[in-house]
Amino acid sequence: MTLLTLNGSAQNAEKKEPATVGTIKHDYSVKIVRFADLEAVMKKNDDKLYVVNFWATWCRPCVMELPEFMEVNNAYRNNPRFKMILVSLDVAKEAETTVRAFLEKRKMDVDVYLLDDNKRMNEWIPAIDKNWSGAIPATVFYRNGEKVEFIENQIQKSELEQIINKYL
Amino acid sequence: MKKTVLIVYSIIFLTGLAQVKAQNMENNSELKGYKVGDVAADFKLKNVDQKTVSLSDYAAAKGFIVVFTCNHCPYAKAYESRIIALDKKYASKGYPVIAINPNDPIVVPADNFEAMQVRAKEKGFTFPYLFDDGQKVYPQYGATKTPHVFLLNKENGKNIVRYIGAIDDNYADANDVSNKYVEAAVDALLANQPIAQASTVAIGCSIKAQKN
Repeated sequence: MTLLTLNGSAQNAEKKEPATVGTIKHDYSVKIVRFADLEAVMKKNDDKLYVVNFWATWCRPCVMELPEFMEVNNAYRNNPRFKMILVSLDVAKEAETTVRAFLEKRKMDVDVYLLDDNKRMNEWIPAIDKNWSGAIPATVFYRNGEKVEFIENQIQKSELEQIINKYL
Repeated sequence: MKKTVLIVYSIIFLTGLAQVKAQNMENNSELKGYKVGDVAADFKLKNVDQKTVSLSDYAAAKGFIVVFTCNHCPYAKAYESRIIALDKKYASKGYPVIAINPNDPIVVPADNFEAMQVRAKEKGFTFPYLFDDGQKVYPQYGATKTPHVFLLNKENGKNIVRYIGAIDDNYADANDVSNKYVEAAVDALLANQPIAQASTVAIGCSIKAQKN
């Protein structure tokens, strides 16, 4: 049974049916993307405010701010003009292990992408913000393909809500 | 008459505002640290061997590869061997590595001085690994994350910042690196050539400080 091996289960994890908790589907899947794919997701011309948080499971201040991000996401997720996206910068081979386990443990029901584009950091970091040094956490806000805010730091819940309310 | 007074008051008020704004901008630029071409300040920091190290101790050096790094950060760890390799390659050519841990150990106990001593010994660091006690040096340089490199070149007795950024373009796999940014920059200095890429960015762990 190759399914029982670690490698096998990781490869097959994507094909698994999402676990259903109550009526909400939590599949805690992590989609591995290149920067161009991510841009297509967060720079849509659909009047939505995209709140895009760059984080990693190993990043302490990132992990500290995530519970408040989840509270905010839960409060706004039914608003058709709001969309939160988490972009993990963990290594790609840990997407289905470390990252998924992290999301599952914390019951984080949010769209999570893993940006696997290490060798082009010097291109996509300045593409997101020319002043971004690459330190995380960092959060960028887009609407209709235009960046409206960028914050290279931990964000308090009140500040996050303030920014969201400004653009919703 | 009333109107004139109002105008005069407005002018005084607006001038005051402009001054406050100008001061803030100055403070901000100080906080942002060095840009390529700036003169880097010397420092006096404690090394893992308990001795104090300053740039001025290195009379024969042509410059320095100053690396803000730490024990706990996975990016910093991924680069440890490559930082040792940089020192081995360039110290003899006049550009030694000076590593500085900028993190507050109260926030990250894994980055305290004793843990630095352990890590330096375990990995066999060939260069000083200094503790930015009181966190005065990293804001002056403008380091924001680990690892964060500032390549200094001695010119007319001053240490001029000639490169700021990442070590290379692939933290995850040393065998799949296409651009060795720091090596290219030091090689350019050694050859008296302009540095093609004087600054780069890469993801890193933010430097940990207590909130005021």
